[in-house]
Amino acid sequence: MSTDDITDDLTRNTENAPPELLTRSFFFVCAVLSIVTTLSIVLLLVTEASKFFTFTAPLLGVEGPTASVVDFLTGTTWQVGNQEFGVLALVSATVMITIGSGIIAIPLGVATAIYLSEYADEKHRAVLKPALEVLAGIPTVVYGFFALIYITPAVRTVLPGVGTFNLISASVVVGIMIIPMVASISEDAMSAVPDELRQAGYGMGATKLDVSTGIVVPAALSGIFSSFILALSRAIGETMAVTVAAGSQARFLNPLNPAAYQEGALPMTAAMVQLLLGDITGGGLAYRSLFAIGLTLFIITLVMNIISDYVAQRYREEY
Amino acid sequence: MATEGQTEILESFGQVNKTAGRLFQYLLQTATAFGIIVLAFLLLFVTNDAIQPLTADPGWHLTFFLTLVVPTLAVGTYVYRRNRDALVFGVMVVGLLVVSLMFSGGAALVLIDIVQPDTWAGISLAFLVPAGLVVGLQRYSRQLPFLVRFGTAVVLFYASLLGVPGPLGALVGVSQVLPNTVDIAPSLLSGVPEWLLVVGFLGVPIALGVGAYFRSVHGTEAGRSAAGVAVLATVAGGLLGPLVGVDPLPATTIAAVAVGPTGAYAVGGGISDPDVREGLLVAGALVGGALVGALAVETVGFVGPQAWVDYQFLTSAHSRNAIDAGLYPAIGGSILLMVTVAVLSFPVGVGAAVYLEEYAPENRFKRFVDVNISNLAGVPSVVYGLLGLGVFVTYLGQPTGTVAIGGATLGLLILPIVIISSREAIRSVPNEQRQASYGMGATKWQTVRNVVLPNAFPGILTGTILALGRAIGETAPLIMIGAPSVVFSLPTEFTAKASAMPLQVFAWASLFASEEFYTQAVPAGVVVLVAVLLAMNSVAIVLRNRYQRD
Repeated sequence: MSTDDITDDLTRNTENAPPELLTRSFFFVCAVLSIVTTLSIVLLLVTEASKFFTFTAPLLGVEGPTASVVDFLTGTTWQVGNQEFGVLALVSATVMITIGSGIIAIPLGVATAIYLSEYADEKHRAVLKPALEVLAGIPTVVYGFFALIYITPAVRTVLPGVGTFNLISASVVVGIMIIPMVASISEDAMSAVPDELRQAGYGMGATKLDVSTGIVVPAALSGIFSSFILALSRAIGETMAVTVAAGSQARFLNPLNPAAYQEGALPMTAAMVQLLLGDITGGGLAYRSLFAIGLTLFIITLVMNIISDYVAQRYREEY
Repeated sequence: MATEGQTEILESFGQVNKTAGRLFQYLLQTATAFGIIVLAFLLLFVTNDAIQPLTADPGWHLTFFLTLVVPTLAVGTYVYRRNRDALVFGVMVVGLLVVSLMFSGGAALVLIDIVQPDTWAGISLAFLVPAGLVVGLQRYSRQLPFLVRFGTAVVLFYASLLGVPGPLGALVGVSQVLPNTVDIAPSLLSGVPEWLLVVGFLGVPIALGVGAYFRSVHGTEAGRSAAGVAVLATVAGGLLGPLVGVDPLPATTIAAVAVGPTGAYAVGGGISDPDVREGLLVAGALVGGALVGALAVETVGFVGPQAWVDYQFLTSAHSRNAIDAGLYPAIGGSILLMVTVAVLSFPVGVGAAVYLEEYAPENRFKRFVDVNISNLAGVPSVVYGLLGLGVFVTYLGQPTGTVAIGGATLGLLILPIVIISSREAIRSVPNEQRQASYGMGATKWQTVRNVVLPNAFPGILTGTILALGRAIGETAPLIMIGAPSVVFSLPTEFTAKASAMPLQVFAWASLFASEEFYTQAVPAGVVVLVAVLLAMNSVAIVLRNRYQRD
């Protein structure tokens, strides 16, 4: 090998050599795929949902029956057979599941986070954290079956009027399912609170109780709130547990009336599964309503994710 | 008065009421335990329904209590007193045996009913032959320009997998001259017994993997002997299986996937670390006790529990009668779906993570991708199902409910999770190691390949297993893409319609809702599903704990 070759070898610019270029492009394409996924979700939901609504369908050249967007958003009856598509009937059930699961998951999740971050020693954490992960890892259809077979009879011993399908047991299992989400994100936020703040508290003579509730929780509040929103958005999108346990009859219920939780109802996600399991013809109105619900669901969860990000960024305490 | 008040303050100074703090701590502990305890009870209930331990003879319980529980507890306490690490080692051996037995069942199912051993050998050869040629070429001459090597590799793999001239030839109307390796192999290997093929193409690769693991932990010598033990165990399985009434094919598979690696782990661990050798007593007591108990029960004639999870349940298809219904096609569907999901989402997810952590400049595009991925992770699974339905079925015209589109949909669903966990693993590789590699003159890709990915691999693997655990339990996306809830035969190719375990359980719990299904088939299905999930989760957790300590 001549000196020239060696000099050439040592000084060549490898940044755009073929192997570099090839691998870099592959990695880049992989990263872009996530954007393609989002774009296809948005495009698909928007075009298919537009075919459902009266005011947009003609733009896409779709003929046949359509539904009014006002009726869709304000109607309270959901009867696919009678061509009545009032999404509020479904939204009310979803809201009730969200409220019910929040009542269970938020206090328990925050308490778990405080315990894990402030009280538990390494040994306990090493056991509790994987156990909590299992809580989130059990398939949701299994949770639905648990609600139907074990929790509803248990609830019935207290409230005899509860139906076979009801929102109480569905909310309970969805709540249990999202505890780990509240707990792990809140715990991350609490662990990020610098130790100096705790030490300062102890230096002032505060007890562990005072430090936990008076210093750590307020300092981590933005993270805790963002965990609530993320977990509730997960509860909204939860499908199989509510499909199995919440019922198949769409009805508009008042989410603020505690007695209404004893009844069964049809949340948005369950309605989508029901539509698909029923015989819908491809391209028919029922098929397109699927995408209209999907779009509604997507927008709700997207807005909640964005709010959660915003809260975490905007109200983060800077140290 | 004033002095009295001051005395009171002085007396209470420094006194803290501990009651409130204690109560608060108990409250927190209760809250933390609540979800876990509720789930534990639910799992107990469902296991009770599925296994029905109370239907067994009292003598059956007594026998196992005497042969299994008492000796294990005695040996366990003894070992625990002497050396805690030994107990951990013993439990790990048993855990590995249980988990790998589960997976070997899946592997046997695949080899018996989905991919015949000769096809499997063909698939392996189709990859091994060109890979060997490419490596040989590289060894032969290091001076070849990259593009030449790359081009040769592409051509070789293409010819081996698709034949000459393959689909490209079909496009221009040239007929096939040479068939692909997968088609040739069965005729070449026709004289070889099936179980020997399993030894060669399943047992040997697994043994090599086991050997590589032991070499990295305990050195070359241990690696060689571990690989030897694993191969011997596999061959022994094929030879001894027929003697105890098991067909050679499943016997070899179970030996290759479960017995070999577990045996190598037990022997290797025991030899290289004499301190923990006692742990094997625990494993021996457990396994031996179970075998002795089973034998004793058989001879005396005690009747075991009327479990719904039994051999019949695992090996038969759905039926209208809950008592005859089984999970077999759904298990096969789940396995094929998981293979598809892993093949699709692992490279893409890791690739995206590498790009974002190693290549992407800090600019708007990267921030956009960041936000995009965290939002994708929050999209409900049912919406991914709609995506699969709309894109794959409606726009691309694929048939509904096949393994391919089910796997693609689930792959997209777990992609953000794989990306996020892989990024964390890559981020935890110390920067000094990258700098050292660049300092040696390595290029970016060389650094990624030789430094970043090997170090991040355990973390990436943990995240991927957890994500696959999520995918295996997903039902809604499969319903949306039209996967059939009732299938009577195993899917044998990627374009076949397939059900999955959670979908079958859902069908029993809703479409066939009846008291019988609620008390028999559904609990049994739930127990199988949860057992598979817990096995995957525990593998991931053990992996994580092991590599975090290092």
